[in-house]
Amino acid sequence: MLASGTWGLGENLDLYLTKEEIKSNIGAFVSKGISRFPKKGNPPPRLYETPCGLINSIGLENPGLEVFKRDYLPKLLSYKVPLIINLHGEEIEDFVALAEGFKEEKVDGIELNISCPNVKKGGIAFSSDPKGVKTLVKEVRKVWERFLAVKLSPVGPVYEIAEICEKEGVDALVVANTYPALGVIGLAPLKVIKGGLSGPAIKPLTLRLVYELAQKVELPIIGSGGILSGKDALEYLVCGAKAFQIGVANLIDPTSAVKIIQEMEELKKKHGLFG
Amino acid sequence: MYQGEVIKNLPLSQNVYLLRVKTDLDIIFSFNPGQFVKIKINERIDPLIPRPFTIHDVKKNSFYVLYQVVGKGTKALSLVQPGNKIEFLGPLGKPFPKLENYVICAGGIGIAGFIYLLESIKRKTHPYVLPKKIFYGARTAEDLVCYPFLEGIGTKVEIATEDGSQGYKGLITEPLIKYLEKNKVDVLACGPLPMLKAVAKIAQSFGVKAYLTMETFLSCGTGFCKGCVIPLKNGNYAHLCIEGPTLLAEEIDFEALS
Repeated sequence: MLASGTWGLGENLDLYLTKEEIKSNIGAFVSKGISRFPKKGNPPPRLYETPCGLINSIGLENPGLEVFKRDYLPKLLSYKVPLIINLHGEEIEDFVALAEGFKEEKVDGIELNISCPNVKKGGIAFSSDPKGVKTLVKEVRKVWERFLAVKLSPVGPVYEIAEICEKEGVDALVVANTYPALGVIGLAPLKVIKGGLSGPAIKPLTLRLVYELAQKVELPIIGSGGILSGKDALEYLVCGAKAFQIGVANLIDPTSAVKIIQEMEELKKKHGLFG
Repeated sequence: MYQGEVIKNLPLSQNVYLLRVKTDLDIIFSFNPGQFVKIKINERIDPLIPRPFTIHDVKKNSFYVLYQVVGKGTKALSLVQPGNKIEFLGPLGKPFPKLENYVICAGGIGIAGFIYLLESIKRKTHPYVLPKKIFYGARTAEDLVCYPFLEGIGTKVEIATEDGSQGYKGLITEPLIKYLEKNKVDVLACGPLPMLKAVAKIAQSFGVKAYLTMETFLSCGTGFCKGCVIPLKNGNYAHLCIEGPTLLAEEIDFEALS
């Protein structure tokens, strides 16, 4: 799968991959985070490179539900690749409204971004608040019967939230979002960027989460964190993930998905893994 | 990404290098002046993100990049040896605008992309017209690495160095102001941010347009990540990798940028 926010809204994807390459290598698209209303995103700087990693602070720039459906969705659907919409909300009502907004569309599923602050609870992230996640999933489930994934934050009560998701009828867990991080841009005066760290720097951390979670919950786990090669992807699968997402790899090379899948298939054969 | 082989990676001054990348792929003939490529040094994950470089020239089966070593990415590139394989992605971004009545203003390594523009005019491969004049400034004469090439280009060149070792002593924007006092022309500029800010102000004061080739840290180069934004005066952001790298000066909100 292509991870949310790492391939835009699909508007330029076909400049780099043929329709055939897309169809035969990408199991699902996960859209950029969509909010009810347009979001301009954060002022620059939005990016900061760290050793083997990248901090991003994009601020969920997106055109909002209605413009997305009108201007971007038709092209995405034309690829005939399963489409999962990543939803971003500041309160439970936003997620419910978004899920309802996609009910009549031919999308295959939704992925809830719970790393964002819950405005009604004083800005505490949903991912720090198991009860909040429970209510969120319950409310979304009332209006959404299709595939429902929750993208876990790697920090906070991760295991508790995973178990809640399982009880409340979530279909899969995406493990995990980026790690809260900070980069120092200027020493004096101090200037910092706060954002989410991704890339190979975080792979061992997220792999451990996948490994541990796979033993705690029955839910399928979609691994996501620092996959740049077929070997990286395979490591996630042998550690218990049923599928994986690639993120930063798309930013390095827009054709990464094809290369990663090819490498992984060769390695699977070599090691006699997964039939 | 595409495969290429490094044929040459030579220092032209203390920290400016000329890189020649050979490839059999026809994609390089679709490179336009003003566009850029991302270069990945194979198998490296630190630095993680391939760096963007303006296209300095395209000749025969090769493209050229002129770069200054400023950080981890360019340092790593400077260590690449002839015979090494690299990967590249391009052309990225929009070409330079097609201007009729204009001058070029380049500061330091900002000259890199203009050489391809001027070569394209000489070879008649792209429909650009010669600038009325080229203003080329640097800290010292040694930093004017493209000066020998500009001598034969068929348009006047004005040089400025901060230490006075060649041409006018001072900033290149000073001779530019003198010229604009007598000539109404647009300005196509690339160089350090303070120079670009000054060019924007100067152009505004003379009532001419300035087109600035901007720089920022960017990751995807393809419009995917929305990371490389430049604030605009209308309150929106330009995504430099797909809407730039050359932007109209009067639209840029420099105050929000700093």
